[in-house]
Amino acid sequence: MIDAPLLSLLIPAVGGQGGGVLLEWIVDAAIADGYPVHGTSIPGVAQRTGSTTYYVELCTERGASTDELPPIFSLYPVPGALDVLLAPEFLEVGRSIELGFPSPARTTIIASTHRLYSIHEKIATGRGIYPIERLDAAARAFARKLIAFDALALAREHGTEANAVLLGALAGSGALPIAVEAYRTAIRAKAVQVDANLRGFEAGLAVALAAGAAAGGEGSPAAAAPAGQALSDTDIEAMTAAFPQSLRPVLRQGVLRLIDYQNRAYAERYLERLRPFAGDVELGQIVARHLAVWMSYEDAVRVAEFKTRMSRFERIRKEKGVRDGEIIVTDFLKPDLDEIYGVLPYRLVAWFARWAERRWPHGRPSLGQHVKTTTVSGYLRVWLLTLLRPLRPISYRAHEEHARIDRWLAAVARCRAWDGLLACEVARAAQLVKGYGDVRRRMTGHFDRLLEAATKAGEHAMANGGDFTAARSLAARYRALVLQGPESEATAAALAADA
Amino acid sequence: MGERSFAEDVKQLGYGEGEILRGEGILAITKALLQSGVSYVGGYPGAPVSYLIDVLADANEPLLKPLGIYFEQSGSEAAAAALLGASINYPIRGAVTWKSVVGTNVASDALSHVASAGVIGGSVIVIGEDYGEGASILQERTHSTALKSSVPLLDPRNSLDAFARFVGEGFGLSEACNQPVFFSIRIRACHMRGTLRCRDNVKPAISMLSRLDSPSFSIDRINLPPFTYQMEAQKFEKRLPAARRYIVEHGLNEHFRGAEDHLGIVMQGGLWNTTLRGLHALGLADTRGRTPVPLLVLNAIHPLVPEELIGFLRGKTRVLVVEEGMPNYIERELKALAHEARLPVEIQGKDVFSPHGEYIPQLVVGGLRRFFTSAGVTSQSTTAIEDRYQALTAHREKVGLVLLEPVAKRPPSFCTGCPERPVFSALKILRTREPAIGDTHVAADIGCSTFSTQAPFNVGNSVLGYGMGLASSSAVAPLFGKRTISVMGDGGFWHNGLTNGVANAMYNKQDSVLVILDNFYAAATGQHHVPSTGTNARNEPLPMTIPDALKGLGVKWIRTVNSYRIADVMGTFREALTTRVPGLKVIIAKNECMLERQRRERPRLRRLAAEGHQVVQPRFGVDPDVCTGDHSCMRLNGCPSLTLRENPDPLREDPIAHVDETCVGCGVCGEVAHAAVLCPSFYEVKVIANPTRWTRLVSRLRQAVIRRLAAVTA
Repeated sequence: MIDAPLLSLLIPAVGGQGGGVLLEWIVDAAIADGYPVHGTSIPGVAQRTGSTTYYVELCTERGASTDELPPIFSLYPVPGALDVLLAPEFLEVGRSIELGFPSPARTTIIASTHRLYSIHEKIATGRGIYPIERLDAAARAFARKLIAFDALALAREHGTEANAVLLGALAGSGALPIAVEAYRTAIRAKAVQVDANLRGFEAGLAVALAAGAAAGGEGSPAAAAPAGQALSDTDIEAMTAAFPQSLRPVLRQGVLRLIDYQNRAYAERYLERLRPFAGDVELGQIVARHLAVWMSYEDAVRVAEFKTRMSRFERIRKEKGVRDGEIIVTDFLKPDLDEIYGVLPYRLVAWFARWAERRWPHGRPSLGQHVKTTTVSGYLRVWLLTLLRPLRPISYRAHEEHARIDRWLAAVARCRAWDGLLACEVARAAQLVKGYGDVRRRMTGHFDRLLEAATKAGEHAMANGGDFTAARSLAARYRALVLQGPESEATAAALAADA
Repeated sequence: MGERSFAEDVKQLGYGEGEILRGEGILAITKALLQSGVSYVGGYPGAPVSYLIDVLADANEPLLKPLGIYFEQSGSEAAAAALLGASINYPIRGAVTWKSVVGTNVASDALSHVASAGVIGGSVIVIGEDYGEGASILQERTHSTALKSSVPLLDPRNSLDAFARFVGEGFGLSEACNQPVFFSIRIRACHMRGTLRCRDNVKPAISMLSRLDSPSFSIDRINLPPFTYQMEAQKFEKRLPAARRYIVEHGLNEHFRGAEDHLGIVMQGGLWNTTLRGLHALGLADTRGRTPVPLLVLNAIHPLVPEELIGFLRGKTRVLVVEEGMPNYIERELKALAHEARLPVEIQGKDVFSPHGEYIPQLVVGGLRRFFTSAGVTSQSTTAIEDRYQALTAHREKVGLVLLEPVAKRPPSFCTGCPERPVFSALKILRTREPAIGDTHVAADIGCSTFSTQAPFNVGNSVLGYGMGLASSSAVAPLFGKRTISVMGDGGFWHNGLTNGVANAMYNKQDSVLVILDNFYAAATGQHHVPSTGTNARNEPLPMTIPDALKGLGVKWIRTVNSYRIADVMGTFREALTTRVPGLKVIIAKNECMLERQRRERPRLRRLAAEGHQVVQPRFGVDPDVCTGDHSCMRLNGCPSLTLRENPDPLREDPIAHVDETCVGCGVCGEVAHAAVLCPSFYEVKVIANPTRWTRLVSRLRQAVIRRLAAVTA
């Protein structure tokens, strides 16, 4: 059957991304260039931040000259018969692949690699983000041709939205026969933010033209930049000289952090605690990382320091794109009783702390305040707290935290004598110690339980022939469950109780 | 005022003969109404036909009024159906619209009465069939309502020209058979963009410019016995036969002949495009719809015309029915007819497709392949069909190899800055921190607020109808050990909640808590006006308020709270749940829909800034070094602009919280952190563009002092 070729394009977007405008531009551009076209969408309820889809079909025979019958356009894409997948967000590429739409034999995938995280990815206590490598691999495997880049970042550079940039990339990809100028005409005809959208369009066009046929997923997010203190400090080299080479980068981070947190002696204490584990590369890494984080626990003094650093205000200005204007920063502080007496000397407040824990077993009283840290009085209030830093080593909080750290290190050491892998798992348990107030109390509760259950399981394994598989998996599963979120915490607790 | 302005599109509604209109399906339908000489239009907004109300509202001043056409956004679908009462006694054409099947359910009392009395003026009901992908409601189809009330049901092919033609035919059909007529349009068809060749608009003979002057009375149009018996008889003896005649004489259904005359496909008009694309995918049709397979396209699916169907079945051995939803009335009717006529034809339908679900291409292609590989066609070999099918589907086996775990779901939720969301943050915090009070049964409602049942809140134990939240807790409340909470949006309150909810609860002395989310609009459908918006859809000012309505019903305990102040909202809930005051306690959580507010504010602030005025805009942020990445805030907040970013701290692995540039500065981040005693990571920053000299001076002085202090400890 002789057939006028029909091209199809699917836009899987997230509600609020401007997919509707993108669709209208494409349809209008096709009409401007004389192609029979139609487009449709299902915004509906999904418009409110859900997954939305927009769909375009275009007949490559211009006009109705050869035939009086108009082409029959489908309102839905046919899985496996898609010509272009134009995705303004990267997870939605994965969803389209899951639904079978793009086919490696046919589909050009043009995608922005930035992520808008779904609520299910956000609410995990640990890392709930869908692995980007998997999305990347899937996009490569299911595209005849792939143009993937961070369209949102490019859009922001040009003061526009990702949809204009993607329209440019579509034009540049040549996946549809529409002339580049027709897209520009469509943008102008819409008469909304024309200049910004044209800038974005040209930027996207350039990316697609440069990418050519060899384009690949260049946009996998780069690893986060490390904290960038310039350091030529030979001192640190000397301090860490006794440690294996492979450990030194992380030790350097740890030492710097703890000098910043307290002083050099404190950093030396860190290295001292670490020394017993330094011989074991993997375990050493894990302990070094978690120990440094834990020893720099966020007490009120630390938070006050973070909040009053001059670099902070610079960062805020940069992050919010304030070049010339002024800023007024208000901090939402609500320390609870633990955090307040935590900074005071142990000997002074220990009795009170014990009483308070009995008096308010769940949720201690807290002191809520909105502090304007860009005013002198507000800044002063927070800044004064930083003066308590010298008291930190004798504070109640230090007493409690270091006792728990010692218990942790002892458990790791004990497990290492039995089984290296179990020791690693127990060391990783420190990942659970995070948060403030009630959250931190809940998380340290889990940490304590994990430690107890894992060492008990270890003991049991030791007494019964030395198979530590169960103990290792208990520790790993407990941690994973707690990091999934509060809904899984009961399962974790049950797991520990059974052990 | 709606989410979308159709002001530009509306200009095209004035086009005359031969001009080409370009736009969405909804626009073509509106144009067809004007071309049909309607005297009145109305309806209740709801996806997928909510834009129809917007188009009509935008067209009211420039087009409808000059033609003398009356327009209203009705109080509910029941009111919209009752609007058709005008056509019972008077020869005037009218059209109404709503979301089906739920709107049809609400409308059904009035609708049954109109359908029983019959109409003398053409009456068309445009129903947006909210079925399948993108639907927001329970999954039922409207077909059964059409059958039980003897309302003809048009389900035309999907093209703008077809929509316009069948709206016109709908009026003709309605007048021919004296019944109101359903014109059904599916979700994607409403939003389909295409072109329409226009005709001139027709000025109605009876209108607001040329009014009726004497009432028409005829006792046999009153729905009381014995006339109701006559009406029933008329439906089957006169009206439906007249409808069948009209359908045949005007060729509403289309019969396409083809070489494969031992086979045939019978389909609903609305499934034409998908079915043809399915045939195309299997090599059995070209892109212009030419196919060797005979087709019978039913643009009118009720009433069916037996002669037409038998004519199509005769001489065929296998016939396939493409019919969406259950029950499969068309397939059953065909089978019964074939049986009565003793035709040796095998009729298939649901057995090769699916009894449930929208007929999307993957389902239709699969069914067609099954049918044709077993029935056999002469123009294609079975292997060729198989090969084409494999080419479409082979790659799907590889999906599991690269996407090892399912891609994270993305349910719809409350928008950035939504004033309803913090109410559910408050309820969730209350539930977790004070379970003795706050962990109770919550009856949810329809509207944006239904998202409360989704992650991260999971607040709401049942959802069962628009404005029905409070009524749905009537039996739960007295049987529950704590006070229960019911939720209602302002849209739901005026639609149904005022009478079936509040009046019912007051009448039955229910002791429970109702929270009304007052965001000034029916926000879910696209910020449509409600009676408490302050103006109606025609932008005429109105003094109606929710507290006045409540007081009128005798509600004594009414509290109004700023929904963004989470501690206040929690406190009000605590009070309502624990007070000794008996009876219904109503909390009005109030603030304007942020989408609408931003739509107005953003251009205004942009303009002020461009003119050089000082503009202050609040934004929120998270200090990356203070955040430890436990994401407790996400579980209580759920704002789209509160998101994750990779941890900049090389020693930590879990991502941290981050407020992206879409933040509108509503303040809920800080409120949640405070109310739930989370962490000190959040800050608000007021960004001052074009600061005045005074602002700059104060700021410089402050900075000078702060810099000194910082230097002391640095």
